[in-house]
Amino acid sequence: MARVRHLEVAELLALRDGEGTAFARAHVETCTACRGELERLYRVRAELRALPTISPPRELWPRVAAAVRQRRLRRRIAFGTSALAVAAVLLGLVVLRGPSAGVAQRGGDVWVAEAASQDLGPVISRSRQLESLLEAYRPTYKVYDAPTALAVSVLEDRIVLLDRMLAESRAIGADRQLLRGLWGERVEALETLVGLELVYEGRVVQEGRVWR
Amino acid sequence: MNGKALVLASGEVARARAGDTEALESLYHAFATPVYNLGRRICGNEEDAEDVLQDTFLEVCRSIAKFRGDGSLWGWVRQVAVSKALLLLRRERGRRVRGFEGDRFLRDGPGTPPPEPSAPIDLETALNRLSPLSRAVLWLHDVEGYTHEEVGELMGKTASFSKSRLARAHQNLREWLR
Repeated sequence: MARVRHLEVAELLALRDGEGTAFARAHVETCTACRGELERLYRVRAELRALPTISPPRELWPRVAAAVRQRRLRRRIAFGTSALAVAAVLLGLVVLRGPSAGVAQRGGDVWVAEAASQDLGPVISRSRQLESLLEAYRPTYKVYDAPTALAVSVLEDRIVLLDRMLAESRAIGADRQLLRGLWGERVEALETLVGLELVYEGRVVQEGRVWR
Repeated sequence: MNGKALVLASGEVARARAGDTEALESLYHAFATPVYNLGRRICGNEEDAEDVLQDTFLEVCRSIAKFRGDGSLWGWVRQVAVSKALLLLRRERGRRVRGFEGDRFLRDGPGTPPPEPSAPIDLETALNRLSPLSRAVLWLHDVEGYTHEEVGELMGKTASFSKSRLARAHQNLREWLR
């Protein structure tokens, strides 16, 4: 008597998914064992779909929002840096072409003059150095734990505010002492940010977990 | 969709696309549970599921302006979530392969150790005991409704790979759920 060939799981799954062969379809009509297996596969799929929904154990939006804000801020800083670089190049062209075209480049002129000045040059240079350090510590996205995210966010807001104050101070021709004070505060905020990054990196490595 | 119903106010998606933070937050709260659930089922643990949730929404916030709106928003978010979950599995797998070269069982990364032959287990426990790849294929095909071609493509493999993984997953479940 010939042995009956039962269907493989793959053949039964194909049948369940409406792709079975004619042989498989005919076989389950007559084979109780394979029909039972096919019914079991239907049942398991239904049970999988009916598993209870698992909700996130905690609120992660603040982390995501902090990372999104950082990314936007970095883009703004990058845009600002590019704009200044463009201004510097334009200024260079103006200088090469002669003094008559210089008036239109007044904003860039002021900034370049500030960076080159004896009183503001060192603090601006330090500020740039710290920003490069920060860039090196931060990949495209980085998500912190809640206390670090809050501290980072406060410091970044402070830097944005200082940048606005610097721009407005220049626009109204404020004295050098005020500009020096603002640049100094900017450097302090950046130093604290870099410090936070260092501490945080050390901590997440210790805990064996890195939030991307 | 495996998760609670989504409720988004009209115009919320348009505002999210324009970068409105409140609208992005609404989007997060509308989709957080199904995305977390997907991550939890595919990755099999809470920690990785949180990473999937977080990475998915970073990507959603970054790329929503590119969402053309010609498909369902959940379909798009789910696609992002699946990519992030599979990326995480690939990273985990890479780490294990580097750490345990030569161990065939670990090449796919282990699920939880198989149960004692006599110990009865429920479907949820059995699901977590599957190897990560088998669990991912099973969930994507049987629950999320991806075709074998789509699963294969998502994993950088073929439809045949997906079919054989699914068969293996069901064989394991059959054995464990007897």
